[in-house]
Order: sequence, then C-alpha cells, then structure tokens
Amino acid sequence: MEQVIVNALYLGSQYAMIALGLTLIFALMNVLNFAHGQMYVLGGFVTYTIYGRLGFPFIVALLGTAVTLAIVGALIEYFLFRPVIRRSVREESTMLLAAGIAFLLDAVILLVFGEKQRGVPKILDGVFNWDFRIILPYDRILVCVLAIMSIAGFIAFMQFTKTGRALRAFAQDRVAAELMGVNVDRYSMIGFALGAMLAGLVGGLLVTITGVNLGMGGPVSIKAFMMVMIGGAGVISGAIAGGFILGALEAVGLAVLSQYGDITYLLIFASLMVFLSFRPQGLMGKPWG
Amino acid sequence: MHRKALLKAVSIVAILACSALISSTGFAANKVLKIGFVGVTSGPAAAWGISNVRSMQTRAKWINETGGVKIGDTTYDVEIVTFDDQKDPKRAIAGMEKMAQEGIHYVVGPNVDDGAAAVRPVAERNGIIYFPYAFPKELYTKPASNAVLGMVASYQSGPAIYKYLKETKGVKSIAFVSANESDPLSQREGGIAAAKALGLDVVSSNVTFQVDTIDFTPVLTPVMRTKPDLLVLSGVSPANAPQLIRSARELGFQGLISTETAQDATVLKEGAGDLANGFISVGGASTPEISSDMMAEFVDRYTKMFGEYNDESNTKVYALEYILETLKVNPAAITDVEEFKKTMDTFEVANPYMKGDAKLKYVGTTSFGQKRQLMVPLVVNVYKDGKFETLFVAEVD
Amino acid sequence: MNTFKINQLIGVAIFLFSVFVAVPYAIAASGRWDFYYTLTSVALLSIASAGVWLTFYIGRINIGQGAFALIGGYVSAILVTKAGLSFWLTLPLAGLFCAFIAVLIGLPILRLRGVYFAMVTLVLTEVSRLTMLALPITNGAKGIVSIPLPGALSIFGLTLIPDFSMLKNDKLAFYYVACVLMVICFAGMYRLVNSRFGHLCRSLQQNEELASSIGVNIAYLRIVVFAISSFLGGIGGAMFVAISQSIYPSSFQVSDSINFMLNCFLGGLGYVFGPMLGTLTLYFGWSLLFELGKYQLLIYSSLLIFLMLVLPNGLLSIRFSKMKGVQK
Repeated sequence: MEQVIVNALYLGSQYAMIALGLTLIFALMNVLNFAHGQMYVLGGFVTYTIYGRLGFPFIVALLGTAVTLAIVGALIEYFLFRPVIRRSVREESTMLLAAGIAFLLDAVILLVFGEKQRGVPKILDGVFNWDFRIILPYDRILVCVLAIMSIAGFIAFMQFTKTGRALRAFAQDRVAAELMGVNVDRYSMIGFALGAMLAGLVGGLLVTITGVNLGMGGPVSIKAFMMVMIGGAGVISGAIAGGFILGALEAVGLAVLSQYGDITYLLIFASLMVFLSFRPQGLMGKPWG
Repeated sequence: MHRKALLKAVSIVAILACSALISSTGFAANKVLKIGFVGVTSGPAAAWGISNVRSMQTRAKWINETGGVKIGDTTYDVEIVTFDDQKDPKRAIAGMEKMAQEGIHYVVGPNVDDGAAAVRPVAERNGIIYFPYAFPKELYTKPASNAVLGMVASYQSGPAIYKYLKETKGVKSIAFVSANESDPLSQREGGIAAAKALGLDVVSSNVTFQVDTIDFTPVLTPVMRTKPDLLVLSGVSPANAPQLIRSARELGFQGLISTETAQDATVLKEGAGDLANGFISVGGASTPEISSDMMAEFVDRYTKMFGEYNDESNTKVYALEYILETLKVNPAAITDVEEFKKTMDTFEVANPYMKGDAKLKYVGTTSFGQKRQLMVPLVVNVYKDGKFETLFVAEVD
Repeated sequence: MNTFKINQLIGVAIFLFSVFVAVPYAIAASGRWDFYYTLTSVALLSIASAGVWLTFYIGRINIGQGAFALIGGYVSAILVTKAGLSFWLTLPLAGLFCAFIAVLIGLPILRLRGVYFAMVTLVLTEVSRLTMLALPITNGAKGIVSIPLPGALSIFGLTLIPDFSMLKNDKLAFYYVACVLMVICFAGMYRLVNSRFGHLCRSLQQNEELASSIGVNIAYLRIVVFAISSFLGGIGGAMFVAISQSIYPSSFQVSDSINFMLNCFLGGLGYVFGPMLGTLTLYFGWSLLFELGKYQLLIYSSLLIFLMLVLPNGLLSIRFSKMKGVQK
C-alpha cells in the first residue's frame, strides 16, 4: 500500500510537469500542441548530449536544456504559430501546424540523435528500502524532488512576478488583457517558450531514469492531453491535479488489477471517458474549454 | 520578414532534396540487382527498421566496392531500394506494390506481424519472395509460400533458453511481462506454452504495460511478489528492456531475466549499467567466441558508414546474404521466384559470418511443414559489463 | 448557387471522367501499376475523412475515426470468416454497426465540446485497440488473417460484381469499387450539406445555445451526424480489410485517427471536397517523396508546415477565396 502511494507521487510529479507546459500553451493561445511530446524528447536528448556525452555536471545540463528548449519554443511561436493564427479562419487549424511540427521534430531528432534508446549514468546510486514496504532508488527521490521544486518555482513565477501576472491575465481574458496594455505578441512568445521549457526539463530529468528515445514523443503528448482533460483545459492547478490523478490511477490500477493483465489500461481509459461525460469540463476547467 | 522566412524554408528544403538525390545516385559499371526493403525507418518504431536497412546497405556497399556479385555469367551491383511504411500495414501494402513496380522479386521486411500479414496478397500476386521479421505461423505454412522467416522465432528460441536455464541454473518458476501490443502478446503466448511443456511453474503471466510507460516500478511490483526464478520480457523492444531490468533489480529481484528478442549492448549499458549484468538475450554471431573475420569487417564497415554499430544488426545481416547466395546457386531465380523456391529445398553453403563449419540453409520443417525459414544460428548471449558473451549456440530445424 | 450550376456540372463530369477513365488509361499507358493501390487507399481514407469532416461541420474536433475504422474492419472480418457471409453484405453491416456504437457512445460524449471532445475521441481510439486485443471473438493479438477476397455479387442471376479471386487484375477492381464508394459518399455529403439538415448543422457549428433556443433539436442532430460519420469510418475500415485480407488491433491506431483529422484541415474545413483533396495530398505526397530515403519525413513535414504557412485555411481556400459560396 505504501509503495503504491509512493509510486503515485513519483509518477504524478513527472506527469504534472509535462501537463503544466501543455496547459500553459493551451490557455494562452488555444493551441493543442501536438508537438509537446517531441519537445520532451528533444529535452531528453539535449541533456543526454551535455551530461552523458560532453560530461558537464547534471545541473548544467538541465539549465542548458531549459535554455535550448525555451529558444526552440520561442522560435516556433514567432515563425510558425503567430502567422498561422493571425490568418486562419478557424483556430483549430493550428492543430495541423502542430502535427507538422511534431513530424518535423521527429525527423530532425532521428537525423541528429539517431534511432537508439539513450540513457545516462545514474546520478545517485543506492536504493531507499524501508523494510520492503517502500522501495525507492535515491535517484528517483531526487528527480521527484526536483520536479516538485520546478512546479513550485513555476507557480511562484506565475504568482509573484510581473510577467507571471501578465500571463495569467492573458490566459483569463485575452481581449481584456490586451486592452489593459498587455503586449499579446510578446507574452504569447514567452508563454510558448515557458511551455516548451517545462516539457524539455521533464525530458532532461527523466533521461537519468528512463532514458530517452525517438518514439516517446507521440505517446507522451497523448498522456499529457489526458491529464489536461482530467484537470480541466487551460487551468494551471487543474494540470497539476490531473497529473497526480493519472499517476495515482496508473499506480493503483496496476497494483489492483494486475491479475487481469491486458484490461488494466482499458479500464483506466474507459473510466476517464465516463468521468468526462459526467463532468465535461474536467475537475477545474471553464465549461466548454 | 515573413516572406523571407518562407524563402529560407524553401531553399533549405531544396538543398536537402538535391543532396539526397546526389547521394543516392552512385556510379554503375555493372548491371544493377535491386533488392527491396519494406519496413519502418521513421517515427516511434524507427529503431527496428533502421538497424535492418543499414545492415543491408553496409553489405551492399561492401559488395559493390569489391566488384559486385557474380550470378551466373553476369556481375551485378547490389542496390537496396527502401520503403518506409511507418509501421502502418496500409502503407506496407503500398510499399510492396512499389517493389513490384520496380521489378523487384526479393524484399526484406516488414518488421511487424500486421504489416507482414497485410502484404501477403500483393507479394503472392506479383511473384515476390519476402523475408519478414514477424512470427505468425500462418505466413509460412501452406498454402502461403512466398514468405521466408528472416530470424529465429520466439517460439523456437524460447524453449531452448528455458530448457538450458532449467537444466543448468535450476530454474523452476517463470514469470512473463509484455507490452500490450500484438507482437509481444503473441510471443508471450508462445513462451507460456513452451514453459508449461517443459514443466516450469508459470507464476505470473498476465501483467502488461503500455509502450509509453515511463516508470516500470508499478508494473513490476506485482510480478516481483510472485518471486519467480526467471523473468521473461516477451518481445521487449530495445528501448524498454533496460528500464524493465533496472526496475526489477531495484525492486530487489535476484533471479534471472531473459528475452527472445535481439538487444543492443550500448543501450543496455547506458540504460541499466551494471544492473543489466546477467541479462540473457538472443543475438547474431558477433561475440568474439564465434564470429568470423568477415563479421568483424562487417561491424567495422557498418560503424564507419553510420557512426555507431547496432548489435540488433547481428541477426539482420543474413537475409541479404541468403538471397544473393541462393541466386548464385540458381541464376534463373533472378526473375523467377518459383526457381528460388525449388532451390531453397536443397540449398546449402558455408556461413561466412561464423567460425567453424556452420552452414547457411533453409529450415522450418518442424515449425511450418516446409522450408520457409533462414537458418540463422540461435546464439544466446548474456550481457556482461557493456558486452555480450555467448551462453550457448543452438540450431533450428 | 444557381449561377454555378453549369460550371458545377462540368466540374463533376470532368472529375468522374478523370477518376474512371483518364486515371486507368494513364496508369496503363505509363505502366505505374502501383498507383492503383495508392489511389484506392486515397479513395477509402477520404471516405473516412469525410466522416471526420462532417463532425467538424457541427463544430466538433473528431480524433476518433480510427476507432470506427477498426471496429468496421473487425465486424466485416468476423462476419466473413466466422459466419461465412458475403463481403458485400458485411460492408453495409460494418457501417451500420459502427453507427450503432456511435449512437451509444455519442449520447454521453457529444455533450462535450472543443478540446474535450477531441481528447475523448482520441482516447476512444486507444480504447478500441485495447478492446480488440482483449475480446475473444477478435482472436486478440494474433489478429484475423487469410480472409478470402470478396466473392461475386449477383441479384436475380445477374452478376453485378464478379468474384474477386477469379479476376486477373483485382487491383483495378478494388480501385473501381473504392472510387464508386467515394463518389457516392461525397455526392451524399454534398447533398446533405446543402439541405435543410445541413443548414441546421451549420447553425450548431456557430452557436449551439442560439440554435437550441430557436427550436433546433441539437441533441438529435449531433447524434445523427456522429452516426453518419462513424458509418463512413466503418465502411472505409471494412474495405481495407478486404484488400489486405487481414486485420490486427493495430491496423487502425491513434496515428490514423490523427491523419484523418489532418486530411480535413489540409483540404480545408469550409469545403465539402476538402477531405478528398487533403487525403490525396497527404497520402500521395508521402508516396511521391519515397525517393528521398532518409530525408523523406523531414521534407514531408517541412512541406506540410510550409503549406500551412501559405494556406492556413486549407488547400481549397486558394481556389474559392474570392467566392463566398460554401465558406462558412
């Protein structure tokens, strides 16, 4: 039982961080970013290169990843999303653009980093073992703590800085924010860069545990979508809640339903659909996203 | 600004397209023999096809540099025509049609069950012999006759491994874990049947995971409670293997771990480090104990050409070799696959990749009732400190 | 609209002529027989995409068409192999079964909108894959293989469709069947969109509350549209099973669902024929870039992004940009 709770917490902290970036971009620009998972993968590969290949300290690698992904995100927003959003009749059209970017990142990652699964040496050795009731390797504890710290840092940034306030105002009501003098273009770019950075950071953190490979992008995006839906699209607290709930669902589901094997995930997905039919806006979302 | 950006994008694309075209056109003094490849070389499952296609390209380039291959009275340069099916059976059909269009009669791939089943009608109608890396028996038993299994099937290697471990390591109980996808699940079924036939106690057999799992601890926790002597990772992809091994060991698992798929030593080293020591997998003939000088040169050329070797390619050097050697024996088969099928029954030459007197021949009579499988040596490897060591070598009949 | 009547008739005639006469002739002349399968795929995928387009028409982003294609494929495969029915009978049955499922699922989930509906349908694709893996009747992970080719279809002794396994060139036969289905599908769609029903649907796309307040039965409308959409998905899936003579749980997956949606975007959401053009571009484009080897995906995706930058409202917006016509 204790193990299940710890598993849920660990998974939840990763998931919440992935979902945060996605929901931020959605809240600001109404873009469902299909390339989110690819940014996660890119982050993993950048960390792998800086830490695993070039031998810099892990923390430097994480910072490098954050900066790289922020730049990538900003460029994508500036050169691709901005012109398309400005000119398209229906804003869903950006989904095609996002999917195109996802394909492009897939192709670039394949050409630059290759097709193999990549991993880095463990950052911490040893396993925390409490009487076989809780078994958790130290590196997982560290990654979990780092993830929670990043989430806390992100929330503090959104709450207490001028940029954060502007972003929140922008997310709440685009027109009103614009009228109050918020520079929409600038903050779209900052928001997109932040979202990409968060995705990259999780990728960088997790490369120490699960490694990274080209194929993780699409599935990660879809998982992130699900978390965002559970919590409510475009709501920061919702994304965090969604991440932890999906983490808990998986941990509990796998523990309780393991003897039924194949249908564990079927039940998780089906219950998600049932939940959404009763609560169409997720836990905390605005109705009709 | 906007237009400038577009212009830039267009010019980049154009440059890339040109460079791609230039690199694909070589010099051709000899006649060209085209061999096809239909499989996945982009997207999530890219690793499977890429190690495959690269080993073919390496071998083809090597042959061409040394003057080509002499079949009958003509010397040919080998050209590999690749089609990326993105692991989609619908595209795999299109790929096979493309091969037929190019006049190709010998195609390596597809890499997965659904693709291999989907291309069957096209291959049979157009007289194409194809070499899938997929295990469904329907593909190789009559009335099907155009598919030749390119590797050792899990239902062949599994029993051999379990038997060996039962006899030498005293394994009594066994547990299976697999991804909830078609190929791994089918391989798990085969594994369970084999284990039961050997009288092993199957303590856990229905735990599955999604391929996108990022933490395997919750997946493996219930399996570990059953305390098996041997944990089998059925049909595990090289990407998931190190994570599963790491989670199992970190949960305190002391028993053996094995799989029936080919793995890559570097991936295991990076992903699981010392925890992967003792991990048993199936490989080709690349361990120093058994590999010939030719295999060493192949690895060397592969590494030069693509920067890094992939151990999965060990099992995948064979298909092209088999095609060419069989054509050498019967040149009429270049355009007529019926001739090829006739030759398959009697074909036997020395295996250039292995030391000793190993042979290349077609097998599969026991499993499929006809010779529709390449005799690839069943080399069972164990991982140790970043390298594979050969545990034992067996043959399939 | 009436002023375009003659133009439209000419357009339709040219289209039919090129599909049924010019293309086969060109293929015979150039010897590119492999295009038949590619074009057959385009026709079938565009039928499924047309269904997605229809749900877009009532303002719903549908990323679940892969689920219905898979269900349709399995219904046909099971009926042919286990019950021994003729394929031609299973084709409409597959569609109807999908429509039935769509009604069941649609009742709760059609209340969702925007990204929520999109996500639920995306999850639906994964649910259907896992269901097919788990159900005993689908043969689970092993799939259903060696499905016979479609047999003859005759009414009162008159053979309408010959037995496919007897044909020398069944590629051509599949091409014609797929094209006939596609033409029927898009003719029906065009009729539907320009009917009273279609106008009501458009009112849903713009504002459901408003439509409801003036007496439009929005719940009924949504269900009917979703059922038609899924019917088309099922037909597309069943036809593919007949061609590949096999089906696996992974025959239609999430990436297919996403592609169906992208086809609609690329063609243009405002145009009935958008999904057809979008499918042709996306699917055929990939095949044409086959020569590029390992740069295929890179160039394909670059072109996609480029198209989006130039024509953010879909390919057809270039032709119709000056006419208000069908655009919303």
